[in-house]
Amino acid sequence: MKLAHPELRSRLASEYVLGTMRGRTRRRFEEYLKRDAALRAEVVRWEERLTPLAERLAPVEPPTRVWKRIEARLDRAASRRAAMDSPRKAGLWHSLAFWRNLGLVTSVVAATLLAMQFAVKPAKPDPILTAVLAEEANNAVRLFIEQPRANVLNIKMVKPWANGPEKQHQLWVLPANGGAPRSIGIINSKGDTLLNLSEIDSKLIDGAQFAVSIEAVGGSQSGLPGRIVCKGTIAWIPKRPPLPPKQT
Amino acid sequence: MAEKDANARLEALLGRCGVGDRRAFAELYDLTRSKLFAVSLRIVRERHIAEEVLQDCFVNIWNNAANYAAVKSAPMTWMTAIVRNRSLDIVRRPLVEVADEDDYFALGVQDEGPTALEQLDAKRDQARIERCMKGLDTEQQQSISLAFFHGLSHSEVADHLGRPLGTVKTHIRRGLQKLKGCLDS
Repeated sequence: MKLAHPELRSRLASEYVLGTMRGRTRRRFEEYLKRDAALRAEVVRWEERLTPLAERLAPVEPPTRVWKRIEARLDRAASRRAAMDSPRKAGLWHSLAFWRNLGLVTSVVAATLLAMQFAVKPAKPDPILTAVLAEEANNAVRLFIEQPRANVLNIKMVKPWANGPEKQHQLWVLPANGGAPRSIGIINSKGDTLLNLSEIDSKLIDGAQFAVSIEAVGGSQSGLPGRIVCKGTIAWIPKRPPLPPKQT
Repeated sequence: MAEKDANARLEALLGRCGVGDRRAFAELYDLTRSKLFAVSLRIVRERHIAEEVLQDCFVNIWNNAANYAAVKSAPMTWMTAIVRNRSLDIVRRPLVEVADEDDYFALGVQDEGPTALEQLDAKRDQARIERCMKGLDTEQQQSISLAFFHGLSHSEVADHLGRPLGTVKTHIRRGLQKLKGCLDS
């Protein structure tokens, strides 16, 4: 295949995009494409010319399992990446993508990763408290919570809920000693929430749990949580010297 | 409305996918899945294969969203090309089923014309290529449509239309040149 002649290049690009270029020729052409930016641009021009034809097609709804499989594949890839390089990667704590991709990693693993992250990154202003909240049934991580300053809770959404406007999610502390749950506040069902935390510090101790319940609008009237949809144990991150390098 | 807004919306979503926003990805999927599934289904013809193509392509789109900005093509063009390429890669048909013929044209070429016409206002690019397609000879149109929508190779198009291979190749080559001239003018 000689690809010097402009007309030949355009013709090959057109047949590549149309799809009549097949088999070995197609694969060889793709090899050329990797090395030849001008040829790639020619292909893009042809795609822009011909692709609008696809608007003719009546949409066909794919089954829901397709999306589930896509998500599962991304989750697997994310947890593999997280398990492989997260402790060394800078700024992971602040990478929402990491948290949002974490779906399949158990809260225990996540908490361990967190602890390691802090251990090796003492320069950042460390959160005082962290918790990873997961669904009990399948360990799917829903939220993580950090306390960046003494009186602020930062609740980051990992996997948003699909509830309509008639329902709200409410955050609670379940004390370590089994005492009565205490409401912290309504949180955003679809995104992150920043909560003021003035008078609840005493309950936020090691071993206590955060829990999220689903409630009617305005939150629980009884002062007790309704159905708990996810929870996680609070972990304080002590200031401590870095861990020794990980053994592999 | 629409086309510009839709493009801007898809571009924004791809941008967010590029920084790892899974919610943006879910929305992108919702907005494009049925069109892209239709594109693949028409080429690979079997639902379970089209489902796999769609899965592969969306994983691919997620993984490459950060590079999208460098592509400089419209988001739907970019995604459709990914789906078409994947579909063409895996389609391995020994022969064109002649029994399909009536079906084909009912589904693929003629019945969808009115839909296209109804949407002309909103879809400028589509309107242009449809107009240019109408400027082609009937056989050029048929050949190009069969290749584009059904993923047929030259020889499959030739079998399907009962024409010599060389004739079909010429129709397609000249048809594409004419389209280019028309679209670029």
